[in-house]
Amino acid sequence: MVDAARHPKITIKAYSEVERVDGYIGNFRAFITQKPRYVIEERCTGCGECVPVCPIEVPNPFEMNIAPRKAIDVPHGQAVPLIYAIDIENCIKCYQCVTACGERDAIDFLQEPRTEEVEVGAIIVATGADHFNPSVIPEYGYGRYPNVITAMELERLANSAGPTVGRLIRPSDGQPPHRLAFIQCVGSRDKRFNEYCSGYCCMASIKNAILLKQEHPEMEITIFYMDIRSPSKGYEEFYNRARQMGIRFIRGRPAQITEDPETGNLFIEVEDQDLGQVLEVEVDMAVLATALIPQPDTQQLATTLTLARSPSGFFMEYHPKLRPIDAPNDGIFFAGTAQGPKDIPASVAQGSAAAARAARVLNAETWEIEPVIARVEPSLCISAQGKKCGLCAAACPYNAIIVEVGRAAQIIPAKCHGCGGCVAECPQNAITQDHFTDAQIVAQMREYLREKPEEKILVLMCHWCSYGGADNAGVSHFQYPPDSRGIRVMCSARMDQDLVLEAFRRGAGMVLVSGCHPQDCHYISGQQVAARRFERLFRTLERLGINPERFRVEWISAAEGEKYARVITEMSQKLASFDKAALRRENEAARKAIMQRLLRWRSLPDMAAVLAEEEEEEKEAVLE
Amino acid sequence: MIRPEQMDRRFVEEILAEPGGEHLLTCWSCGTCAATCLVRRFNPAFNPRLILHKAGLGLREAVLSSAEIWACSACDACYPRCPQGIHISDVMRAIRNLAIRAGYEAPGPAAQVDAATCSGCAVCTRACPYAAIERKPQMVNGQERTIAWVDRNLCQACGICVAACPSGAMSLEAMNDAELLTRVAAGGWLEQPGFLQGASDAPRLLAFVCQWSIRAEEEWERLQGLNDEHLRVVILPCSGRVEPAHVLLALSKGVDGVLVMGCHEGECHYQRGTYLGRGKVALLNEMMAAVGLAPQRVRFAESSALERRAFERQVAALREAIAALRPAEISEVRG
Ligand SMILES: Cc1cc2nc3c(=O)[nH]c(=O)nc-3n(C[C@H](O)[C@H](O)[C@H](O)COP(=O)(O)OP(=O)(O)OC[C@H]3O[C@@H](n4cnc5c(N)ncnc54)[C@H](O)[C@@H]3O)c2cc1C
Ligand code: SF4
Ligand code: SF4
Ligand code: SF4
Ligand code: SF4
Repeated sequence: MVDAARHPKITIKAYSEVERVDGYIGNFRAFITQKPRYVIEERCTGCGECVPVCPIEVPNPFEMNIAPRKAIDVPHGQAVPLIYAIDIENCIKCYQCVTACGERDAIDFLQEPRTEEVEVGAIIVATGADHFNPSVIPEYGYGRYPNVITAMELERLANSAGPTVGRLIRPSDGQPPHRLAFIQCVGSRDKRFNEYCSGYCCMASIKNAILLKQEHPEMEITIFYMDIRSPSKGYEEFYNRARQMGIRFIRGRPAQITEDPETGNLFIEVEDQDLGQVLEVEVDMAVLATALIPQPDTQQLATTLTLARSPSGFFMEYHPKLRPIDAPNDGIFFAGTAQGPKDIPASVAQGSAAAARAARVLNAETWEIEPVIARVEPSLCISAQGKKCGLCAAACPYNAIIVEVGRAAQIIPAKCHGCGGCVAECPQNAITQDHFTDAQIVAQMREYLREKPEEKILVLMCHWCSYGGADNAGVSHFQYPPDSRGIRVMCSARMDQDLVLEAFRRGAGMVLVSGCHPQDCHYISGQQVAARRFERLFRTLERLGINPERFRVEWISAAEGEKYARVITEMSQKLASFDKAALRRENEAARKAIMQRLLRWRSLPDMAAVLAEEEEEEKEAVLE
Repeated sequence: MIRPEQMDRRFVEEILAEPGGEHLLTCWSCGTCAATCLVRRFNPAFNPRLILHKAGLGLREAVLSSAEIWACSACDACYPRCPQGIHISDVMRAIRNLAIRAGYEAPGPAAQVDAATCSGCAVCTRACPYAAIERKPQMVNGQERTIAWVDRNLCQACGICVAACPSGAMSLEAMNDAELLTRVAAGGWLEQPGFLQGASDAPRLLAFVCQWSIRAEEEWERLQGLNDEHLRVVILPCSGRVEPAHVLLALSKGVDGVLVMGCHEGECHYQRGTYLGRGKVALLNEMMAAVGLAPQRVRFAESSALERRAFERQVAALREAIAALRPAEISEVRG
């Protein structure tokens, strides 16, 4: 931290909050509000003479509230920058500190929050994680039994710079514990709270056990665990050392802790899995290895930066294997536990990687984006005609569209990732997508459904998942009937209801819409946009007189070749069960209503060309 | 050694297909249920984790023929603690259903109906927390009558029906009124004069303790060790099994106070036992007040397996309350 503070190209904005971020990769504008410290940064020398005179003591959250802090203080001894701040909520304005500060004259009770605008090319999110509060687990008695503490509290109690100057004592009576227990996986690997493994806690408990055992060889230390997870370099050797030192490991997840109200001693009841017997272990103090959980303001930050969250609540990366450092939004990167639980080495590695990724952006004159992006035709956008719409902006997972009444919607190409959600949502057909225009898709459809359309299943598949699933079915030799025809688009969000109707107009026997599972969607929330849209389509089909059983929506991942084959097989069997003449009649009856609905397509130049070509063909056919 | 042919994948699938058995395979054998299980405290052979593990391996014969699969009383103490959210008693029920279909039967004990005295009133049918009692037409002394019938595969031997039956037709091994009374009175304990009568130096208390409301095996043993001329501990399967007549008998014999200890409301092993036990004590208190006996002498207390020394605290509190009664009551008796 000190190095960072001294670095000529690093500015630390402590005591500050990012309020808003506009712009895009290479050209972000961040609005940062500095909270008032009531101490003038340039004048404070960090001498700390104001602290002893301050009469107010409040619990110090950095010390897990075990020790007090003053109303004027620094968070902890190693704070960077070393500038004091007044906790105005607790300050009684006695102005003792002003006197103590004397000639330095650093205290200023009139400071106000200051917001400044900063231009940045890239953003790294390294906001870390919070820790789980175990008082919601009644059987462990945290909060009720004073000698049950969390791992974080142990860190402070065992720290030589901590409130007890490193002397480990029990909260109930201030005596040093002779028998200590660590309980692993508290709030982690527990469906009631967090299903994931927090990753750091096995090794952190072993570390603390070893440190304590080195200092107090007579201390009896027991670690209760389900599995010891020590997969990184040197970790297994470290674990072996702990066993060699006589630290006791009991495989079993404690069921409950009870307390002897007279001695404050704790009794841990656990089934020793290896013995198949229940043990009661008496200890003086128990440490709960609590889970790492997302920061409470994760959602707020996600909204500020247009970020997505994984099911676990941490920030979601672009791709878990291939782009684990990048946010789905270009120019934003992750480092550390903000992206998911991990330990220090992994956080440091990700931090360095994020810096390198960000440097690529900062050093680039121009930035190449994917060629598939959406474009607005201003003359068709009704927003330009003063009407309120904004459906495109609501569907865009990347906040790439600016809609102001009186102006046509504007897409920022650098922010557009090309899912096509806006294209499908726009009721005016004012948006089109390069390489996936409606005309291009309809032209493919025309070829597929040219002959015996009622015997075909038309499949709309997304590039990342269901197309991969179909590919996987082929590669893995999962057999399925040959009557399906697939059209690939980037995301299920691009699949317009009109495309499904067009397929039926052209006589398709069945239509399948397929995309990623919601958690796999490549475009943050594209799948959700599609899912909502197609829920409504079944009713529309019914109204048009088309049997809704002829339409199906399935979420198929790239690994689910088996599922793809199964869905097509099922659909094919269903199609075989329909009377083809009846199907043709159904399609014929709906044709006119669908044509009416799709009338607007004729106003699009390229679509008009496709349709005109077709009419030519039809005429020729009649002549022949 | 367990041989490959003993690991029957079909058995696993049968359990998964049975309602309640769906989550069998997500158990990762952490042992939380085993160390929580209240039944296991009295029946160490019962280990829910091992049953789930064996079932997951497909050991059909070993699982279906074991007596332990019938031991789970569906108290659901383990369920809220399971990190995998497995409803263990549901899995047990699924396994039992397969066992019943394969011709196995619960080893018991189970409540028994005396057909000759049962009036067919169905009070027990409504009282049973396990829906183990039905009314069925049966031949009694050559006559067809509709009377109670206990499904021994469902009965958990809580004894609530025995206490509920107005005709005295229900019985349960070792839990009949007569047997309980023997335990209360053994060694002439009831025949000694009491503290409130000015005889004993300290209050003499009778305590009915639900076996689930106390902590562990050793606590159980410790309680037995507390028995002396001033205290008699009678362990019941459930506080709902307490018999008001026994309480009144004890008071009439000069016992100073009666403590009934059950689980906390909502934690009862048999769902409604605490409610029943507490209701009985409340009724007794009203009756006592009506006939001029201090109602403080009979008390219902709640405890749980998480509390250490709760029993001693309750006994001390009752002793204190009774000690405070002495001058008044003695003068009453003498006057
Ligand atoms: C009790 C305990 C013991 C541990 N022991 C070990 C160990 O022995 N070895 C090991 O390798 N790992 C250990 N870990 C894990 C280790 O703490 C983490 O891996 C590491 O701290 C992650 O670093 P980070 O930079 O991602 O997050 P943090 O260290 O949490 O840093 C995040 C920073 O961001 C700041 N911040 C948060 N939100 C905002 C915001 N909106 N705006 C501005 N700033 C913000 C926070 O104030 C904080 O300073 C332990 C964790 C715990 C809880
Ligand atoms: S790292 Fe260890 S203690 Fe932490 S959640 Fe994972 S298995 Fe449990
Ligand atoms: S919705 Fe998708 S295609 Fe449309 S602007 Fe946003 S990112 Fe681009
Ligand atoms: S439900 Fe009750 S009796 Fe059954 S296994 Fe769980 S704790 Fe034991
Ligand atoms: S003993 Fe309990 S479980 Fe058995 S029949 Fe009677 S009330 Fe039901």
